[in-house]
Amino acid sequence: MPRWGMVIDVKRCIACWGCTIACKEEHFLPPGVFFNRVLIGESGKFPTSSKLIYPILCNHCSDAACVEACPTGATYVREDGIVAIDDEKCVGCRACMVSCPYQQRTYYDEKVKEREYFPGQGKTEMEIIGEKLYPFKLGTVVKCNFCTERLEDGMKKGLTPGKDEDATPACVNICPVNARVFGDLDDPNSEINRMIMEKKGKQLRKEFGTEPAVYYID
Amino acid sequence: MNDKHQDLVETMFPSDGSGIKPYEWMISPTRQRQWIDDKGIFLWLAFFFSEIGAGLYFMSLFYSFRPGIVLGWLITLVLGGLIHMLYLGNPKRAWRMIMKPNTSELSRGIWIIGVFAVLGFLQIITPGGFNMVFNFIMGVLCLLIISHGFATMNVIRALPAWNSTIVLPLSIISGIWVGHQLLQFMFALSDKAAVASGMEVWAATFFLIYFLCILLYAWGTWHSSEAAKASIRKMLEGDLKRITYIGVGVLAILVPLVFTLIMWGGNTNGFLIFLRLASVCAGDLAIRYLIMKSAVYNPLI
Repeated sequence: MPRWGMVIDVKRCIACWGCTIACKEEHFLPPGVFFNRVLIGESGKFPTSSKLIYPILCNHCSDAACVEACPTGATYVREDGIVAIDDEKCVGCRACMVSCPYQQRTYYDEKVKEREYFPGQGKTEMEIIGEKLYPFKLGTVVKCNFCTERLEDGMKKGLTPGKDEDATPACVNICPVNARVFGDLDDPNSEINRMIMEKKGKQLRKEFGTEPAVYYID
Repeated sequence: MNDKHQDLVETMFPSDGSGIKPYEWMISPTRQRQWIDDKGIFLWLAFFFSEIGAGLYFMSLFYSFRPGIVLGWLITLVLGGLIHMLYLGNPKRAWRMIMKPNTSELSRGIWIIGVFAVLGFLQIITPGGFNMVFNFIMGVLCLLIISHGFATMNVIRALPAWNSTIVLPLSIISGIWVGHQLLQFMFALSDKAAVASGMEVWAATFFLIYFLCILLYAWGTWHSSEAAKASIRKMLEGDLKRITYIGVGVLAILVPLVFTLIMWGGNTNGFLIFLRLASVCAGDLAIRYLIMKSAVYNPLI
């Protein structure tokens, strides 16, 4: 069984927010809900300051704080390493949201559901279709799922995640500078492992101790 | 930017009320919102009522005072329990919360409250319910319920202001202190003024420990990490400073101190006990609100 992970090359990222938008399209996310974000900050002081660009998403941690905190078992780590949410079991206590040091979860309630991309003008056709195609359950928590549907459908067709677009997360496909690489962390010969080894991939805020499956290289 | 634009920005990037800009999210210390804002306010109240109910029950055990344990049991289960339910997104599925006591503090809390509900009921209806064994078991359960709210917060490593060693002692002493005050007031209302007067020595002791725990929490949190320091700074200088100075400084510390000094030596008075109880409850609510509202996450980059 593979263990899916991602490498993000922060030197390549140009902060185009393509991943953010592709993710929103893929999952029909309402306003204010992001499974992918780009953080832009700076380090140091002039004249030696530098700009930091970090695309962030759920880290699918193997020792996830959200899984530990969930009282119902709705949040769990799948065999392939993806941290998933069973919305039939989610009670909406939001312990997972508070526990996540990366703040990658969103509570989906009436207030979020009613948001319109063009406030006061009603929902667009796209938003209406999205609610049918990709329904979220009210009173539950939602987050990035590494585009599980794409992975599973693609693998059923014999495609390889990370290589074939139809089996690869939308944020990886859209990246115009190939800053994101997706693959199997348990396969020593995978491209993702090679990059982590060669470029000394680092997990974001490793000190949180959650063992993220998303690595950053620069 | 006109009002419509402002509304749109607020919809897309809801501000956290502390003045950080959307582009500062997780780049500067970012406040937790889920367990205090909007419906999160229910959780604040639920933790408070569970604590004072269990505190009253705990103190009543020492005096074998049945009305006290009945009221404590009811406050914990009816007010604490129901308000907890109001907070949940899917309260009908609340039974599922018994599923993971091995890792989830919330789940453990549900078990403890369940056992407390059953054994407490048995103690209330059993004529010889105030025996040593029953009292010991219920005492331990009360302490676990008193600390449950803060224990749930304490295990969250992502929020340094909650992940402090002194959070649990603070919650236990605040539960006992408020419970003691409630019980003293109940004695003062009934014709047991002598018992209420005798409790005053404990009032002074509990108040002193409570006061020291508040100081230790502030001092320890300030020195634990940058994010934790930012939380204390928010309390002292930020938008929460009025609640800190009035709620904690005046209501939780100054007013109880003055009344404790007035009633020093057992010169108790029902009206003064009531005023101190009201002040202690408001102060405890303020402390809980501040701790929940000011907790911030470490920036990611």
